[in-house]
Formats: sequence, structure tokens, C-alpha cells
Amino acid sequence: MKRIVSLVVNGQQFEDAVDDNMLLIDYLREIRRLTGVKRGCDGGECGACTVLVDGRARPSCITFASLCDGSAIETIEGQARNGRLSPLQRAFHENLGAQCGFCTPGMIMAAEALLRRTPDPDDDAIRAALGGNLCRCTGYVKIIGSVRAAAAASP
Amino acid sequence: MREPLKGHAAGRSVALIDGIEKVTGRAVYTADMETPDCLVGRILRSPVSHGRIVRIDTARAAALEGVLAVVTGADCPHSYGVIPIAMNEYPLARGKVRYRGEPVAAVAARDARTAEQALELIELEIEELAASYTPEQSRAAGAELLHDDKPGNIEREVHDEFGDPAAGFAAAALVREATFKCAEVNHAQMEPHAALAEYDVSRDRLTLHSVSQVPFYLHLTLARCLDLDTSRIRVLTPFVGGGFGARTETLNFEIIAALLARKAGARVMLRLSREESFLTHRGRPDTEVSLKIGLAKDGRITAVQCQVVMSGGAYAGYGLVTILYAGALLHGLYHTPAVKYDGYRVYTNHPPCGAMRGHGTVDVRHAFECLLDRMARALGLDPFAVRRVNFLGAPTTTANGLLVNSYGLPECLDKVEAASDWRQRAGRMEAGRGLGMACSHYVSGAAKPVHWTGEPHAVVAMKLDFDGAVTVLTGASDIGQGSTTMVALAAAEILGIDLGRIRVVTNDSAITPKDNGSYSSRVTFMVGNAAIEAARALRAKLVAAAAKKLDANPDDIECAGETFFVPGGSQSALPFHDVALAALAEEGTITVKGTFTCPPEAQGGKHRGGAVGSTMGFSYAAQVVEVAVDVETGRITVEKVWAALDCGFAINPLAVEGQIEGSVWMGMGQALCEETRYTEGLAIHANLLDYRVPTIVESPEIEVQIVESIDPLGPFGAKEAGEGALSGFPPALVNAVADAIGLEADFLPLTPDRVLDALIKARRAARRKAAS
Amino acid sequence: MSNALPDFDLLRPQSVEEAVAALQTSPSARLCAGGTDLIVNMRHGLVELETLVDLGAVVAMKRLEADAAGLHIGAGVTLRDLAESEAVSESYTAIRQAALAVAGPGHRAVATVGGNLCLETRCLYYNQSHWWRKANDFCLKYRGETCHVAPTGNRCRAAFCGDLAPALMVFGAKIEIAGPNGIRRIALPDLYREDGADHLTLAACEIITAIHIAPSKAKSGYAKVRIRGAIDFPLAGVAIACERGSPSARSFRIAVTGTNSCPLLLDGPAPLADGDDPDAYFGALNKLVQKAVSPQRTTTTGAHYRRLAVAALAARLAKELVDG
Repeated sequence: MKRIVSLVVNGQQFEDAVDDNMLLIDYLREIRRLTGVKRGCDGGECGACTVLVDGRARPSCITFASLCDGSAIETIEGQARNGRLSPLQRAFHENLGAQCGFCTPGMIMAAEALLRRTPDPDDDAIRAALGGNLCRCTGYVKIIGSVRAAAAASP
Repeated sequence: MREPLKGHAAGRSVALIDGIEKVTGRAVYTADMETPDCLVGRILRSPVSHGRIVRIDTARAAALEGVLAVVTGADCPHSYGVIPIAMNEYPLARGKVRYRGEPVAAVAARDARTAEQALELIELEIEELAASYTPEQSRAAGAELLHDDKPGNIEREVHDEFGDPAAGFAAAALVREATFKCAEVNHAQMEPHAALAEYDVSRDRLTLHSVSQVPFYLHLTLARCLDLDTSRIRVLTPFVGGGFGARTETLNFEIIAALLARKAGARVMLRLSREESFLTHRGRPDTEVSLKIGLAKDGRITAVQCQVVMSGGAYAGYGLVTILYAGALLHGLYHTPAVKYDGYRVYTNHPPCGAMRGHGTVDVRHAFECLLDRMARALGLDPFAVRRVNFLGAPTTTANGLLVNSYGLPECLDKVEAASDWRQRAGRMEAGRGLGMACSHYVSGAAKPVHWTGEPHAVVAMKLDFDGAVTVLTGASDIGQGSTTMVALAAAEILGIDLGRIRVVTNDSAITPKDNGSYSSRVTFMVGNAAIEAARALRAKLVAAAAKKLDANPDDIECAGETFFVPGGSQSALPFHDVALAALAEEGTITVKGTFTCPPEAQGGKHRGGAVGSTMGFSYAAQVVEVAVDVETGRITVEKVWAALDCGFAINPLAVEGQIEGSVWMGMGQALCEETRYTEGLAIHANLLDYRVPTIVESPEIEVQIVESIDPLGPFGAKEAGEGALSGFPPALVNAVADAIGLEADFLPLTPDRVLDALIKARRAARRKAAS
Repeated sequence: MSNALPDFDLLRPQSVEEAVAALQTSPSARLCAGGTDLIVNMRHGLVELETLVDLGAVVAMKRLEADAAGLHIGAGVTLRDLAESEAVSESYTAIRQAALAVAGPGHRAVATVGGNLCLETRCLYYNQSHWWRKANDFCLKYRGETCHVAPTGNRCRAAFCGDLAPALMVFGAKIEIAGPNGIRRIALPDLYREDGADHLTLAACEIITAIHIAPSKAKSGYAKVRIRGAIDFPLAGVAIACERGSPSARSFRIAVTGTNSCPLLLDGPAPLADGDDPDAYFGALNKLVQKAVSPQRTTTTGAHYRRLAVAALAARLAKELVDG
């Protein structure tokens, strides 16, 4: 069945007719064309599709779009303001927190959720917050460094 | 050692020039190019390990509303494979299937559900044949042959002997043997496989976007398999979400996407699931290494004997190269005057193995560094000492004809020994904690390419036009390793200009020069050198124009800081753009190119297979690993890693660090927790829960140091940085575990269950020994 | 090969009563709380349904309160909120640790207590794609005739892999169940039976609405056998609550997950008495756990190892609760 869902995606209000069985990742990629939301596994195993739903990081590949009705969704595409990178985006860029870049959108969104709650996390807190996000390039060393740098740079 | 270049661009850490796209989500990967008009491709895969295809009936599938094309092995009678003498694979099985998951048919439909329904409607009848899942089964008398032309299911045997091993062992003070079993692993790059194929029926032209590390090889294979002239094909690679060797040969889905697009006359997106990406495989094979080393009393290596048996899976792929590498790279790290090598690459009814980061060397290096450590202990030598006594002196040529022009291993050892405080801490750790170390090396590109055409190994083109911008054109695939940035840095360094003036265009066969691809760590060395040569050609034209304007001798002109000037001269410096316009006035748009060709002396020994392992320069690495072992649960915690790698010269130190960290960590995955598992040939690991890529939680701090030996042939002295450190981690870990709890593990990975099992067996053996 | 998801009608009841009614609209109606388990199984083609009843709007099930009567945990409370609750952190360490041991933070932000208690059992022959299971002639748990783990047996051996159940069990948790016939309360162990294909005793259209735990002064902990530091389901897990008697006497309640088709609340051990040799006692506790569990070849990690490791962790945890 299709229903109209009302979502705020990256600050903009949308009303879309969505099949009940449509996953949030498919809504974001196919209807909203937000292809920064990455598909890395067959369901809930890698974190590449992590977005914020009402400020909480969650994998969009195991979330129904229709159940997000009334929610605010944030994706990597909404992080930069007027083309200026967010502190995390800048830190990941400058500190090589991204190599191939495929896990990066999910990683940054998970880190964003962390920094909003814990502006100055220690390494254990960073590890705990990013535990569901796999990366295959960096060995995570520069990812931790990037989150640390972003925390230090944030006002 | 020469003084490293202090360049204004090369040698300074910079963020990746294509990094903004990655952190903003704007980077477009192949799967992101799906548009509403794309047909959806799906593949039907063999449910059995080995069998003869009796019948495939696709009529019902083809008749389903919304299905635009169905293809089977009948649609492509041409075999393919990355090695010209071993092309024994078809994109869709013909006659036989040889592993569970092998593509048999494919459909293109309006949507995913229709495509999946169509697969269910294909009638497939297979007469099952006996299957072999281990080299032992495959080599047994009477085993069903996977390929009729390969008796005994042996894909390739290698028997090499250099020096006089028998005399070497006779002269040794200590000879030890051990057999190591290393499980098969997979690249598990984060981006699942995908290909977008578009066929223009009116013009008979194919355009393919894919995740390939080797678009050139892909281009040739598409022409072969589709009977198309290469001029009718255009291959592009957008952003690529990692490779690690998974994509260094043409993969079946890329050809299947093209076949579907042609048959449907449409755009077809073929996205593979994570499971299918695992089934496409090409990982590091399950390998058994039986190694014998002879050491003199002072630790000098007198002789080495090594037998390697690899379970290669069902098709050739890179297999013969892997088994050759395994033997060749016994050389080149230490002085090994006498080496006997016997390698067997065996066909089994599993998904085909291929090249994976550290191709060919990892499991053999693991065995070597473990056994060497044990023998050092038996001789009362420190692990560092036994390695130091076996150092090579560069330049030299190894027993098997490999050129070693630069050798920073001694400095690597010094650095990790000091950083880990080895001398104070080794042997003095608390119970259950240990330190271990190991060394490793890797090639900076194979000196002989897979497809020998006689052309230069790399070509880079540059364009300078009215806008004063420099456009660099390269076919090198940036798969996350930072090669695009490296090329830009090389150009900026030579031209004395800012990175902002440079744009790098990559990987479009219609635009960029051919490149062999991103594999065997060839790009920095070969493409970097070609970029330098191209930039020099461009600089010469600009210098000539500047000299004319300044009324000076071109030899007196320097360029730096985006200007041209005569040092100490009275005239003011000319801005880059002014000089560019002056040069353009002479000939219009300027295009130049640079090439790189490997010198013949770097191309290896004259023996059969001698080209494999040959390279212009080896990277060298050493690392120390600190572990804590829980003897009750068998769980190993890696507390910290200290790694040093000689990359010749770090063109972008930030990227070099990232490569070292990533490769050490990937070695950790193989050492601790990653392995493929099959039940009767059916992959049970084909997801990211059961194939355990380490998470950030248990991943350790890795302290990296860069050693710069300034290779005489490398670009600015650079060599590879992305593979060399990987193979040192597993043995350093095993050596650390031995230090911590006295367990000499002969297996990979050291999963808790295996460790506990080994501990229990060791305790029992100790009890028996005490009782007797 | 992930499947396109089946079509279904989504219902979003506002109350427990509406939810029970919604379940009654179709025999194949399924509940969805956080969805972190269900959606993965749907993507694998393991779930047939016409109606999906989402519990996300049932506010009454999201209550988490501590008072003199103990702890009330609504079944809709997320694992993250459970782990962050002050009351849980202060008095119910095992529950907090178990909640934090689940998957990754993104899962815990939406996965619920009720969902974790009702987690589908897991097996390497079951948690695979449709193509895979079809190539393997399916299995006893779904569409097949044989349990590939124990082909000679007559039941499914899939393992229950929820982290939370043992941690709740050691505090004597009772669960509240709403159904067509009203509300009933049972002890948590009674929710389960040792059958991987049918491990929950819930009747048709019943919903777990809340968990009740009496006040406790016990020290507790949860330890998980796993390969990685995150994401992994438990290869096995053990929760222990330890109550203090006389100066050195202690009694233990032990519950285990991941080893059987249901979580197990163990019988025993006899309390540690004054004057007992601790080493001998914890050695016996280790053996007791080894004997009580029966892990099968449901994971890529060997069954025997899981038995040994969970028993070793149990003995260590018990000792820490005494010493710490």
C-alpha cells in the first residue's frame, strides 16, 4: 500500500507517496536522489547507510520510510551549509579520514550524532559510537583522529 | 642515502584533491548512476558445485511482462581471463558449472521484482558431478577434473631452485621445518560490485561504467566477449569504493551487464548484493606453506626450501601469477643465497581466487617470519638481530634475478625497535602480554605487464590552454589510495604551481591515455614517473616562452611560486598565466605527454616465470605488535602496533601514512578474525556478520613512521606504500602470541576457538611429556 | 541476493488494545518494533506477511520507571534508553552491559527490549539468502525437511541470540503479555521453549508489553563471547547476579544465551559458603555451566569452543562479582 508521508529531509519539508515496504535508504536514494547514502551490505551489517532520524544515527537500510513519517532526516548532503563543510566534514577531509570514501557518509553521520551529545569525546567514546560502521581502507586510525580534530575545532 | 627532496608540493602532506566529494556525499560511485530509465539486471547462479548443464530453458522468463532480455552462456561463446595463456572462464557458464554461485543466466527487467520473478522462471537442469573442495581432494587419484586440459586438477606447478640449497642446509647450524595453514580471505571492499552498461543500437556502441581497478583490461575483455571492435567501446570508472585486488581483472558481472544491455538495447544497472560480491571473490587462496630454513650460528640464512599449495577455486584468473609470486618473493627481503621452491596451484570447486593486497607473498612471508623468529629463539638470538645479520646491500640482484636498487629495511628496524621500546620491554612483559615483530616487502609494480604490447608501462597527458589551467589526463584508477592526488602533486612540483591550478581527469577510455590499472602497487612508480616526464615537457615549452620574454637563456630560467624568473636577475618574475599565454601564442593549445618504461634490468630473471616478482623497486617494512592473550577464552587483543615502511620518498606523507595504517590493519584482519567458510562449496561467510571485518572497537592504535631510501628510479625517489606492510602483521602477531603465552601457532586466523583449541592441545602434550 | 521486499499493509496502532486488534486482522500479521531483526529477515525472504503492525506509536509501551516496586521496563523502550537509564545503571549492571553489547549504536537507538526478547533464533543455514537456502534444500526452520545442524534430530537447533534475556532473567524478571484474552504475567523463562523453529510460547496475537523486575541489591554483570568488539551476535553470553549472605557467603543466579534455542536460567549453583575454597568453587561453577549448555553447529565458530568460553567467562564474572 502507498501512503503519503511527510518528512523533513535536510531541513526541507517533503510530502511523498511511499510504499509501505519502502526502505528509508531507497526513499533517500531513489526519490530524493541523495546517493550519498551508501548501500554496503544486504542489511544492517556495515553502517554505510547511516543517517540521522530525529538526531539519532541509524542504518537507513533497516528502517521503513513510512515509519519515519513526521521525522526529521539528516544525510551527508545536508551537512555543509552554503557550501562550507561541517567541522566533521572538514576534519575527515583534512586528516584523511576518508580514503575510498564509501563508508565516509555513514561514518560522518554516526560521528555527528556523537558530537551533538558528547562534544568532547575520548577515544573510547568515539570507538563506541562508531562501532557499527565498518571501514576497509583506513584501519580507523585517521577516522578517530578526524573525529578528535572535529571536536577540537567545534566551537 | 640521498637527501630527500624538499619540494613545495611533493613531500608535503595534503588532503586528497578529490576528498571534498567524498565527505559531502557528492562522490558518484557506479551504483549511484542508476536512473529511472535503467533496467535492473539480476543473475541466476549455479546451485551446485560441479555439474554438466543439461538444459537451460529461459522461454518462460523471457515471456514475463517487463523482462527485456535474458542471456545465458549461449550468448557469449568467448572465454576470458586476465592471463592471456589461461583464459578458461565464461561470463555465463557454458557446458559445465564449477562452483556454487557461478553465473548461469541473467535477466534485465523493468524493476527488481520482475527480474527476480524471471530468475525463478528459468528452468535449469544440471547433472551433478563429484566436487573437490580441497587440494587434497582435487589431486587424489580419480578425482573429477574441473578442466579437461588440466590433469590432476593442477592449474600450475612451479619448481625453481637458485643457489645450492643442499649445500646450504648441510652448512647450517640449525635447520627447522614447519607447515603453516592460512585460511582463504576476501577483500571485502566496502562498495559492493556494480556495473552500468548502455548499448546504443543505432551506432553499435557500448558504454560501460564499472568499479574496475583495470578499465583497460576490462575494455579488451568486453571487445573479445562481445565480438566488438575496441573502438566501439567506451569504459569509464567513476569513484571506486575500494579494491584491494578484487577488481584487478575483468569480472563476470561486467561482461554480463554489457551482454544484457546489448540484447535489451538499453541501459542496464547490474548491482550485486554483498553476498554476490563475496561469491565473485578473487580473494587470497587457502594456502599451505611447508617451509624449511637453515641458519648459521650467527643467524645468517644458509638455505630455504618452501612448498606452497594453494586452493585456487574453479578458474584460472590470476592463479599462475599468485603461485609464481609466492616463490619469487621468498627473495628480495633478506640475503637468501639458496632457495628451492615448489608451488602447486590447484583447482577446487569454490569461487575463483585472485589477487589480493600483498598478492602472492602474504602467507609465505607469514610462514617465513614465524619460523625465523622461532629459530632465532633456539639460537639465543634477538628477533631484530637475526634479521639484521641477513640484510641485503643495495644495489644488488637477488638469486632469482630481482633488482634491489634501494633498501631502507635497516632504518625501518631501528625505528620500530626504538618506538616500541623493544630492548627494555621484550621478554619482560607481564603474564599474557607479549611483543612480536616481523619484516616484509612488496613490489612497486610488476616490471612486465600482464598484456605485453611493447608500449610504455604508463602514459600521462597534460593540456594547457587559454585559461591557464593545467589538465592532467590519466587512466590510473584512484580506488581510494590517492593516486589522483599523487599525479597532481607530481605536476605541481615540476611546474612550480599551486594544486588549485591543476585538474586531473581520470579513467575515461575516450579521453584519458590507456593505463594498465591500479594493481601490484604500480601507479605511484610508473604513472608518477610518466607525470613527471609530462610536466617536464610542459615546463620546457613554458621556460622557452619565458626565456623569450625575459630575453634570457632557457637554462637560466627557474619556475616556482607560479612564476618564471632568472635567479638573481634584475627583471621581475613573470606570472605563470602570462607565460602560458606567450607559449600558447606559438602553437595554440599545448598538449604534452610523458611516458614511463621499465628498464630491462628490472624485468627479472630469464627462467620460466622469472618476470613475476620483478619490479623497479621494493618497499620494505618492519613492525612490532603488542598483544594481550586471554588464555581462558583464547581471545587476543592487539594493544598497539608500531610500523615503519620504506616507500623511497613520500610524495604525500599523509596518504602514505593512511596506506600503511590500512595495510597493517588489513593484515590484522587476516591474522585475527577474517576467513571464508564453505559447506559443500556453499559460502557461509558471504555477509559482513560472518565475514568479520574488524570493527573500530577492537582496532588498535597504529604508530607509523616513514623511511625514505630515495630509490634511484622512483618518481622523486618514491616506491610503493600500500601493500608492503600487510604481510608483516600476521607473523608479528603470531610471534607476539608466542612471547605472551609460549604458543607457536601454525594457523591463520588466530580466532579465539583455534587459539583455545591449540592451548588445550599444548597443555595435554605438556602433561603427557611430564608424565612420561 | 537480497530480495525485493514483499508487499504488505502497515498498521500503526496507538495503544496496546489497538495493537492486539491489528494483529487479529490477518493470520500472517507480524509485529515490528525497531525492525532491526525483522527487516533483515524480510530482505532475506524469510518473512511472509500481509500485514505489518508497527508498535512505534504505542506510547504506553515506552515507559521506563523505577520505584519502590522495582523496575518497570516498557517493551518499546529502546536498548539505548535502557542502557542510559540511571536506575538501570545504578542497580542492574548486567542489564546495562547486555543492552550495550547488542550490535552497534545505530541498532540500539531503535531496537527495543521487547524485540530483543523476541529475537528470531539464528543459524548459519537459516540466515542466508533465498538463493542460498534453495541451493541447500531449505531447512527445518523454514520450508525444508531437514535440520542441517543435526540432520538425525527432529527439531530445529537454531540458537537464541538475544543479549538481554539472560540479564533480565537473573533478576527474576516477569513479563506482561497482552492478548485477545486480556493481560497475563509470566516469569521470563516461561516465554521460551527449546525449539529453534518455535522458540516463543506466545499465543497468537499476543504482545509483550512490559517487563517487571523486583528491587535488587545484587551485584551483576554480563559477559559475551564474541570475536569482534561490536556488531556480532553473541556466540554465547552469560549474565550473573550475585547476592551477599554472611561475610563471605554469596549466592549466584546464572543465565546463558546463544548456546541453545532459548536462553537458559541455570539451576544452581549452591551458594558459595564461608570457608569454601574459592578456586574449587569457581572451577565447579565453570563445569556446571559447561554441562548446562548445548551449543550446536549454528555458527561458523565451533560449538565446543562456545561451551568452554561461556563457562570460563561465567566463572570469571562470578569471581569478579565476589572480589570486586
